[in-house]
Amino acid sequence: METTSEKMRETLKAFILKEFLPDEKPEELRESTPLITGGILDSLATLKLVAFIEERYKIQLQAHEVDVEYLNTISSIESLVRSKL
Amino acid sequence: MPDQAQLNLTHLCEASNPAMERTTINNWWTEARQFGIATVQLALLLVVLRQFQIESNAFLRIAVLAFGGFVIHYFLPASLRLPFFSILSLAGIAIVLGGTTAAWLVGIGGLLIGICHLPVRFRTRTLLLIAGRSFLAVLRTDWLAVPWSKVIWPILGSMFMFRLIIYMYDLKHDNAPFSLARTISYFFMLPNVCFPLFPVVDYKTFRRNYYDIDPHKIYQTGIEWMTRGVIHLILYRYVYYYLTLAPAEVTRPREFVQFAITTFLLYLRISGQFHLIVGMLHLFGFRLPETHHRYCFSSSFTDFWRRINIYWKDFMMKIFYYPMYFRLRGRGTTVAILLSTLFVFFVTWLLHSYQWFWLRGSVLLSGPDVAFWTILAILVVINSFYELRYGRERTLTKASFNFAGFAKKAVCTVATFSVICLLWSLWTSETLPEWIALLQSVAHVKLADLGTLSMLVFAAVIVGGVANSVATPSLVKSRTRFSFQRSPLFNLAVLTFLAAVGIQEVYTQLGANAATLINSLRSGRLSRLDVATLEKGYYENLNRVERFNSQLWELYMNRPSNWLDVVGPGLERFTGNFLQKELVSSFVSRTNYGSLRTNRWGMRDKEYEKTRPPNTFRIAMLGASSVMGWGVGDDETFESIVERRLNEEHPESYEHYEILNFAAPGYTALQQVMVLDKALSFHPDVLFYVAAAREPSTSANYLAEVASKGVEIPYDDLKDLLSRAGVPSKPSLPIASRRLFPFRNELVSWSYRTIVGQCREHNILPVLVFLPQVQKGGWQEETPDILRIAKEAGFVVWDLGGVYDSNDVTSIRLAEWDDHPNANGHRLVASRLYSLLTANSQQIFSSKLADKDQ
Repeated sequence: METTSEKMRETLKAFILKEFLPDEKPEELRESTPLITGGILDSLATLKLVAFIEERYKIQLQAHEVDVEYLNTISSIESLVRSKL
Repeated sequence: MPDQAQLNLTHLCEASNPAMERTTINNWWTEARQFGIATVQLALLLVVLRQFQIESNAFLRIAVLAFGGFVIHYFLPASLRLPFFSILSLAGIAIVLGGTTAAWLVGIGGLLIGICHLPVRFRTRTLLLIAGRSFLAVLRTDWLAVPWSKVIWPILGSMFMFRLIIYMYDLKHDNAPFSLARTISYFFMLPNVCFPLFPVVDYKTFRRNYYDIDPHKIYQTGIEWMTRGVIHLILYRYVYYYLTLAPAEVTRPREFVQFAITTFLLYLRISGQFHLIVGMLHLFGFRLPETHHRYCFSSSFTDFWRRINIYWKDFMMKIFYYPMYFRLRGRGTTVAILLSTLFVFFVTWLLHSYQWFWLRGSVLLSGPDVAFWTILAILVVINSFYELRYGRERTLTKASFNFAGFAKKAVCTVATFSVICLLWSLWTSETLPEWIALLQSVAHVKLADLGTLSMLVFAAVIVGGVANSVATPSLVKSRTRFSFQRSPLFNLAVLTFLAAVGIQEVYTQLGANAATLINSLRSGRLSRLDVATLEKGYYENLNRVERFNSQLWELYMNRPSNWLDVVGPGLERFTGNFLQKELVSSFVSRTNYGSLRTNRWGMRDKEYEKTRPPNTFRIAMLGASSVMGWGVGDDETFESIVERRLNEEHPESYEHYEILNFAAPGYTALQQVMVLDKALSFHPDVLFYVAAAREPSTSANYLAEVASKGVEIPYDDLKDLLSRAGVPSKPSLPIASRRLFPFRNELVSWSYRTIVGQCREHNILPVLVFLPQVQKGGWQEETPDILRIAKEAGFVVWDLGGVYDSNDVTSIRLAEWDDHPNANGHRLVASRLYSLLTANSQQIFSSKLADKDQ
């Protein structure tokens, strides 16, 4: 499990690139790229991401946390995960 | 779970967001210029709203309030902006509904909000809210008398039916500090009072996105969305006025395609309204997301679900889909997604009925409605699993052109659009058999149709592909490539163009056709189909108006509940034969428009003897509701006025003149053949057959109706016509209507020839009086046929066309929702008819033959 924020963000970014943006250049996806409001994460993709986060970091997310506020950017996802570790 | 730091940050954003702070002197000029451009655009927008009569007068008042409020709001300190908006919203309600009704609305709403914040457990508050809403639901059904106007129900329902659910959800899960101004703003937000159909705004988004970026960008986005909304509404009018077809008019594949597409495109009204609403909220700092995103260019069913009414989708996801998924995920992802998706569509269907109840006061339960949501749910589920397995195309940057990708996207877009249009045609159908009958028109395909359809599909594929490529160039970067300098100028140009072409002095210079088109688009009138519906006059059969014919629905909403409430079981009775209904005898009632009485023979008239008195000239008058005098008093019908004048002025040497009124509401040319039998028993000298505006189509519809009901048809000619039209025994109404529609003129011809023949047998002069509608419209399409057929049948034809000319329509019709002539209109008709009688006295009064005289 990653101990630094940077490592965690890299893991999340790698997952998002692999699952949802396989043909995209990695540098195009930034920590502030809006994932939900930008249309990258739809409901199914969001659930995939949630499953990944829960499995990877051994945490439980709540339904109300599947929200723009927590999952819209790699940074906010990292903050959410970190708040639960 | 928000932590305190986030809450503080959010709070800080609202109270002292750097974007909201006064700019430095260096930025003063930039801000002044941006503000100036925004106000100029708003001024132009106001002109366009007025010139094109966008939505209602109430909305124009709200727009003036909002745009004026924006200017004040702009200069207010950040801490006062939200309270100012809440006061503006309450003022808007008072302006539209009036002080007393607004007070009731805000009072009831305040109670509901108060329950949300009671210092008791969440579950207790929820139960109290359910109890409160149940009580209101009882009141909504009119079971109990209420001291407030019924006008508030749709608005109250619109403000609270979904927002309370979201608000309570966020109270439970979101720890943002309470703000009275924000709560008032959320529930009573400004333009809601004009729009019962309102986007389901998410409370958390409403709070979170408030002034979260540069204010000028928010304002400019709002203005652009309002402009886009206006364009949607103008396009909607074009579709609504010129392209829509009635189900009975759909007899060939090409017409079915037109019917299905235009029915779906009527949704432009909803997307236009939602753009206006959310755009207006942007003027006050609420950076809400788009409500619709190019939904005509969806490339799959899940894509469609994501693009059309995005707020509804987000509401469903937040309150139902994710909670249900998290509850079920222990059973496996596939099962959880399947059940959650089906659950969402079930709830969507249920909540549409719930919305219907609050807006209309009745319960919606129909086969097409259930079928529509079921099929859409299945398609979305299948599509979801496909995407789950194979993924879907996403990109951060604009994809390079690839022909295979372009072609695939184009085909998918056209296929999705086609299926959605097909489904929409199902949803708009009154019954499933009606929709199936519509589909049967596709079976009558001809080679020429196939050619046209192939070209149409090919063109659609190209357009769909290009549009989709342009519409979704880059999901992320498109949001960040905002150019404030370019976009306002473009928007300014669009608004200037719209404002200019909306000016009469300008559009009349563009040629007759363009001027007529623009003039028609400038007003929110009814389409020819809805006018035809209004001509029926009784409204009862329309129970699906709100979703697809919202203009008509608004007329209904404004129609007093006791409008001419005499019509009911008392005035008419069923006859059990081909006539189906007639006026009851010796009926007396008072309406808001005077007395309504029938004589012992069931005529809306004074008493007459069956035998014509000596030295009396007798006219029998056949007709429908306008002739009967729908909405005017007994002495105000043109029939009674003319009769009175004849007896006062004695244009000929008869001692008495009698006009016997055999008219009844809704009578068609076919029924008049049967009414004539009754009229003949009163031995008239002349027959006045008053033809209504749509004799051919109403005759076809009537024969379809009696055929579908299995009513015995006593005329062999009509039975033969049914056989030739291919109408099976016991047909469904849609099938019968569609098959008889091409025979409509023949039906009228049969009626007219039969009536003229009977009159000649009895030495009665048959005169057809053509009575126009109070305002020009699509009904005029059938007028030349009516007049031609009448002449060919042997009628003396008197065309009263133009009788209402030079009169403002509001001065001659009963009401906005009822196009029957009022007392003033009847006086005009009487005057013209009397002039014709005296001008043709030789022909009319010499028709009385010696052997008929006493």
